[in-house]
Amino acid sequence: MKTRVVVTGLGVVSPIGIGVPAFWKAALEGRSGITAIQPFGDLPLDAYRCRVAGRVTGFESMRFPESVNPDRVDRYAQFALVATQEALADSGLRMDREPPHRVGVIVGAGMGGMVMGEREITQLYQSLKPNRVHPNFIPTITLNSASGIVAMACGAKGPNLTISTACSSSAHALGQALTCIRSGQADVVITAGADASITPLVFAGFCSLRVLSTGFNEEPERASRPFDLARDGFVMGEGAGALILESLAHAKKRKARIYAEVAGYAATSEAYHMVIPREDGTDVAATMKLALDDAAVTPAQVDYINAHATSTPIGDAVEAKAIRRLFKTRADRILVNASKSLIGHTLGAAGVMGAIASSLALETGQVHPTANYETPDPACALAGISRDAQERPLKVALLNAFGFGSNNAALVLKRFA
Amino acid sequence: MGASSAIAPRIYQALADYLKRDVQTIKPDQALREDLGLDSMATIELLFRIEEAFDIQIPDSDLQKLVTVADVTAYVDGRLAPASPATPRKPSPKQAAAKPAKKKKS
Repeated sequence: MKTRVVVTGLGVVSPIGIGVPAFWKAALEGRSGITAIQPFGDLPLDAYRCRVAGRVTGFESMRFPESVNPDRVDRYAQFALVATQEALADSGLRMDREPPHRVGVIVGAGMGGMVMGEREITQLYQSLKPNRVHPNFIPTITLNSASGIVAMACGAKGPNLTISTACSSSAHALGQALTCIRSGQADVVITAGADASITPLVFAGFCSLRVLSTGFNEEPERASRPFDLARDGFVMGEGAGALILESLAHAKKRKARIYAEVAGYAATSEAYHMVIPREDGTDVAATMKLALDDAAVTPAQVDYINAHATSTPIGDAVEAKAIRRLFKTRADRILVNASKSLIGHTLGAAGVMGAIASSLALETGQVHPTANYETPDPACALAGISRDAQERPLKVALLNAFGFGSNNAALVLKRFA
Repeated sequence: MGASSAIAPRIYQALADYLKRDVQTIKPDQALREDLGLDSMATIELLFRIEEAFDIQIPDSDLQKLVTVADVTAYVDGRLAPASPATPRKPSPKQAAAKPAKKKKS
């Protein structure tokens, strides 16, 4: 029998709030965190096709652990630090009572330390002074800088890993945390996802890739509209989320509050195209089915799906097609929502954002609205999508995450019983 | 209303360079997707070159108009013509029948 793994703590830094209570309240109200972007220095704003994004606000006042100098940590890792500190406090885990080698840290990051990365590259080519590249440049842009700093901040000496699979990074981080605990490598894994790459170069790159919404620059809060007929691309977000995963035995021993059980995980590759999903949805359906199998759950038991749903024309349609393919007539009886409708696409943090929303949904029976779902698109109509909050007792949730590089992840969370 | 002689050859050459094939094999009625095998990513890369070559920005909302090689040359021609911004054009037969191009996930 597989070791059971549960969620015992949550933390979040998001465009709709810092801290889980603020995040969840805004989410249930369907409040959008998408705003007009501010100019990037002297760069002409109108040369960016998309001019909206989900920025984190009010972060400047956040406090960091004393052991960390925030000046040496890129914005995405600062987000990860704050989210993991909240999750740890929420879990009640006392690191001074844990064998440090039994606590791991796994972080998903898609882009990493791009704020400093872009700044240093720019300065190098403008100044022509290689000897003035900042000594902290390499430790900052190395993609595991967040997982390293989080472990240092809390004294976790177990496995310390970074998963980078673009937009599915932190869904895989959760899956790998599950695997890590099941295999006996750790009792607890501090799991997070973070990205902060609304930066001049990365934002321009996503514009050039023509994946961002361009039709709602004057109405930012309407731009992220997964499954809606008028959707025209995703909206970049930034932020971090954290979940404390631990074995059920360990959680019980310390009488921890349990939000949900992480019951199954699947990782697949479509082996198809760097940025295009296989259009018939077979690979996505297969990924969901593998995760359900891992959780020993049948499609008929699934109550809720936190969809990847980025608000791109084809991505949402493929996911909806896959849901219908796997769940058949049950597809219309499952509640479905898209967290990206509220916070945009937080890239490496997207998986944990969905997992936090799923954990809270399982605990409370409340499913947050899919903002801007006004006109259902026949290509992705599912009866369980609503722009209003929905409430129903939920036992089994499925979380999808797909990433560039032709990779898919699915997780199954269960109400703890 | 064909593309002006200065523009079309440059677009044909850009296509030939991108596809690494003889420029003589590229014909106006070829569809970018069905006949030349460009998926959405390849189309975007091609348009990126054309934007640079002619110093224009092609909005996302115009992409669906660009189905055949002739659509592209006519579009660029229209964009560069001084007094005729965004002239509506009769869609080519292939354009009318075309399926939407493969799009990206993220």
